[in-house]
Amino acid sequence: MKPTIPTLAILLFFAIGAHAESPLQEVKTSTGNVLLLLKNPKVQGETKKNERRQLVRAEMEKRFEWEQSARACLGRHWAERTPAEKAEFVKIFSEFLKNNYSDKIATYYSDLDKVDYQGEKIIENYASVKLVLTTKSKVEHPIEYRMEKSPSGDDWKIYDVVIEGVSLVKNYRDQFDAIIAKSSYADLIKEIQSKQPTNSKLL
Amino acid sequence: MNKHKIEFFVGLFMAIGMLCMAFLSIRIARNEFSTTGGYEVQAIFTDCNGIRSGSPISIAGVEIGRVKQVALQDYEADVTFMIQAGVILQKDAIASIKTKGMIGEKYIEITPGADEQPIAAGGRLRETQPAMDLEKLISKYVQGNLSKPAN
Repeated sequence: MKPTIPTLAILLFFAIGAHAESPLQEVKTSTGNVLLLLKNPKVQGETKKNERRQLVRAEMEKRFEWEQSARACLGRHWAERTPAEKAEFVKIFSEFLKNNYSDKIATYYSDLDKVDYQGEKIIENYASVKLVLTTKSKVEHPIEYRMEKSPSGDDWKIYDVVIEGVSLVKNYRDQFDAIIAKSSYADLIKEIQSKQPTNSKLL
Repeated sequence: MNKHKIEFFVGLFMAIGMLCMAFLSIRIARNEFSTTGGYEVQAIFTDCNGIRSGSPISIAGVEIGRVKQVALQDYEADVTFMIQAGVILQKDAIASIKTKGMIGEKYIEITPGADEQPIAAGGRLRETQPAMDLEKLISKYVQGNLSKPAN
């Protein structure tokens, strides 16, 4: 199976860590950490597939602000939900993302040849970090990470990734909006829950 | 005496009419008809190809404003919107460049966000999505195939 650029981008998307001074530096540090983690000889081979997946999931759990992403993807419908519904949505949507990407990330990392960092742009509590991923087949893909400073001010969290000019948040916001407009919020929840990593129509 | 009075009023009427025509022409040229009493919002796009002063801005297909100005800033496009008064945009609303049909006019579509804070007059939309460049995508696809190492 050939890796896909969205997969490679998501690999980095979920790899952003804390304890760095600038968004760009955080991206650089965490990208290196995750690539090293996935190349560890102790977790190579088909028999270690589940172990690799668990490592990636653990990294995702640590590094991603699920509520922010879920809220952005639900868009204007977020305000209409009760606190209990919001909590449920964050849980279901984060599981959806983790299920869809953890296995793919662990499988496809080998197609990444190099990462060229283009720079960062910070406006108040928001930042944009741009880079270009080059695959082993020498195809370049521009990626932009959109980040928000955490409430504590210690680190930056990614809330969106833009691949080839297409935003992950925009993609899901449009789809969720269409499903709710066509049927209902309850159907959206059922739709997300029904998706499996191998046959997702939402991606 | 009465004749002069009539001529005076006809002349005055003509002068007022011409002033109105001039005023309307300027307003139409500036695309300010639908945005009177509105407010300005800025957004940075990495590529705004096809967007120019006067391009429409819409939500769900309903026009809510027009592009006022397009300028270059740090090699990116700094676009100023004029949004109709009464239309509230959230801080995390997404502005994306769309095309009417395959080769139609470019316009800006706003996707409402979840943020409880509305964007203030003179504020900036931080979420933008540039126009999809089909030529670039096709070129990349072709380039990708050509540069694949031979097995």
